[in-house]
This record gives sequence, C-alpha cells and structure tokens, in this order.
Amino acid sequence: MASFARGWNIQIRVIKALLIRELSTRFGRENIGFLWMMVEPLLFPSLVALVWRFMRGPEEHGISIVAYIVSGYVPLTLFRHAVGRAAGVFTANASLMYHRQVRLLDFILVRFLIEMIGGMMAYLFIALLLMYFDLFPVPADMGCLLGGWFLYCWFSLSLCLILAPLSEVSEAVEKLIPVTTYIMIPFSGTFNQVSWLTPNLREIVLWSPFVDAMELMRYGIFGNGVDPYYSIAVPVGMSLVCTLVGLIMCRQIRRRLVVE
Amino acid sequence: MIICDNVHKSYPMGRGRKQVLRGVNLQIANGEHIGLLGRNGAGKTTLIKLIAGVEMPTSGKIARSMAVSWPLGFGGGFQGSLTGYDNARFIARIYGREYGDLRAFIEDFTELGRQLKMPVKTYSSGMKARLAFALSLAIEFDCYLIDEIILVGDQNFQKKCHVELFEKRGDRTLILASHSPDVIKSYCSKAVIIDQGMAKLYEDVPDALQIYENL
Repeated sequence: MASFARGWNIQIRVIKALLIRELSTRFGRENIGFLWMMVEPLLFPSLVALVWRFMRGPEEHGISIVAYIVSGYVPLTLFRHAVGRAAGVFTANASLMYHRQVRLLDFILVRFLIEMIGGMMAYLFIALLLMYFDLFPVPADMGCLLGGWFLYCWFSLSLCLILAPLSEVSEAVEKLIPVTTYIMIPFSGTFNQVSWLTPNLREIVLWSPFVDAMELMRYGIFGNGVDPYYSIAVPVGMSLVCTLVGLIMCRQIRRRLVVE
Repeated sequence: MIICDNVHKSYPMGRGRKQVLRGVNLQIANGEHIGLLGRNGAGKTTLIKLIAGVEMPTSGKIARSMAVSWPLGFGGGFQGSLTGYDNARFIARIYGREYGDLRAFIEDFTELGRQLKMPVKTYSSGMKARLAFALSLAIEFDCYLIDEIILVGDQNFQKKCHVELFEKRGDRTLILASHSPDVIKSYCSKAVIIDQGMAKLYEDVPDALQIYENL
C-alpha cells in the first residue's frame, strides 16, 4: 500500500510537470499564454453555430439552433483534437523516456487532459455568454450533462489509447485520422437527435458511444425539450474494451520503442 | 545492486532483426566502479540504455535496487525547444527536487552563463553534456551511467567532473563506457567486456584491458 501511494505521488508529479511543459511549449508565455487552449474549442463551435443560425433560422424542432450546435460541436471538437494529438505522441516525446518515472501513458493522458480542460473552459464560457443573451437554457439536469460529458471523454480517451501506439506501427494511421473523424460525424450525434430518425436508423446509430453520450448531454441541457434515446451500457462497454486493448498495445509498444 | 538476468536485445533491421545482446548476465554491487569495454557497435550504449530503463530488453530481466541515473552522454533526455533553465525546471519537478537548489548548482557547475536562457537545441554536444552532467549530480543518484562523457569536456570541465564524481561521490556505483585504457585504469575497480553480444566481468582491470586490446 505504501509503495502504491509512492508510485501514485510520483505519477501525479510527472503528469503535472508534463502538463506545464506541454502548455509552455505549445502556447508559450506571451500574451494570453495557456488560455490559448480554450481558444480553438471556443471559436469552432461559435462560428459553426453562427453559420447555422443564419442558414436555418433561430429554432428547429423547438430548440434554439445556436444552443443545439454549440452543445454538439464542443464535444466533437474535443474528440477530433484529442485523437489528432494522440498520433505520433510517443515519437515526439521519446527523449523524455530517459527519465524512468515518465511513462508512455502519461503523454497520452496529458495531451488528452489539455484538450478536455480547454474544451470544458470553452463550453462554460460560451454557455454563460449565451445564457446572458437568453440563447442557451440553464441545464435541466446537471447530472445527465456531466455524466454524458464524462462518457464522451472516456470513449475519446480510450480511442487515443489505441491510436497512439497504432500510429507508431503504421504511418498511414496519422494520415487517415482527419478524414475518418470527418466521415464519422453522422455517428457522433452532433447535428441530429436520435428521435428525429426512423426506428431502423435509431438502432444503428445507438451503437455509437458518442451518440449515446450526446443524447444524455442534450437531455441534461434541454430537459423535456428533447426526447432522448440512449443506453449507458454501450458507451461504458465499448470504452472499457477500447481502454483495455489500448493499455495492452501501449505496453507492447513500450518494449519496442527505440530512443535515440 | 543491479542484476541483468539473461538480457537479450534486438532491433528490426530490414526484414530480419539485428541481435545486439544475446543473453547478458551481470551483477553489479553497490559502490562498484565498472568500466565497460567493447568495440564500436558492440552494444555498450545499448546495455547502458537498458540498465537505465530508457529502452526495454527484448527478453530477460533487469532489476535495480538503487536510484540509477539516465545515461550521461551526448545529449538525450532534453527537450530541444526549451531553454536550459526550463529543462532544469522540468527535471526538478519530475524528480521532486527544489528548483532553486538545482539552478544554483547548474549555474556554478556548467559555467554556461546566459546560454542557459537559450533553447537546448542551440547547444554544442559539449554544452549539452555539461548540463546533463550537472543536473544528474544535483539530483544525487546512487549509480551513474556514463557514456564516454569524460572525454568530451575541456580540461577545466574534466577537473570539475573528477572532483564532483570521483572525490565527493566516490562511494556511488559507477558504470563507465569508454575506449580509453587510461580512463578505465584510473577510475574503475572492475571491467566488463562486451563482445559478440555477450558480457564478461573481469575482476582485474589490467587483464581485461589486455584481452580487450587483442579483440
């Protein structure tokens, strides 16, 4: 137990140091510094929401378009960026393997945490701003919103755990990630509710953990304004499996990693 | 104590694999000074990397019961885009040391002055070696892994290394890879020769040097 506590303390220390390092190398200390990490997740959803607002009008299916797009696009941005960042993460950080307490998993975790914290900060900022202008509802059920967000994050992270080692084995992975994340938008629940689909389609898209998590988040925000369809078992089950596979792959790749 | 138990290491090469180490068995007790001998490409650096835990053996086991430094040689272990100070700060954080103490020591030991405010990628290999060496001394490891480093620095730096490593920290374990018989003879109590992927420990340094020269 004592050795577990010691190991835990060391890992926390390493993750903190890596976080600071990643933030200062990526965003620098000039002007707004680490606040840059919320700029991209802030601009993407806001601008896309604005475009949709002008194309489609203020409301659809009785829900504010701006609020709907923002609630979908913030998680989507998180997922796309997290997965993009996971590719090649080991090669980029290989020189840090000189220090034995630094582990491969720390690299993935740190990059993911930055995307997640940036995304949450951006979400909070946009939501508060929109609430002020009465364009965003006060969340009907905070538990469902956070639960959905957690499931969405977990599945994203579990995919990172697989893609990071995979990108070391094959160069193609890194090149295919952007197009894959784009193609899978219909299965992310970003732009439509499951209840708007035909029963056949519903069954299919509910197999996507992202759709389940998104439905849960949207129910947490809009309450009875939406008619949620979701399963908890699908995202939990799939994330568990992907996490396990990812951890095994990371372990395998560590044995083969060549450090200059 | 450091124990290498039947350690193999191979790297992918073309379609096959290059066998670098083929079953290394070694026991290094606390406080021993080991000279690591071997021709270029024999696997000295590979063995040091494995002992440091930078890379993992293909098969076999390495057990360490003391704090082992990272391999001290030409660079490595630094983030090139960060300054010397930033790297020191990072290393202080992950080893749980006080940055202020580390900073004072590296400023004094490396004599790099304002260069410490520059990204490490602008350093020469000698400068990198100084910084790495200073940091590892400030952290106070039980065992130092040194890859040819003594031969890199200038006279003044060599003198400092001598004082800090062999006089002040003479009780520590030391594994020193070198081609120089003089260095091995003056600093090491035992020698290991790596040849054909195997490692052999010699209790007598002159004997080992004799055999090494005839390889």
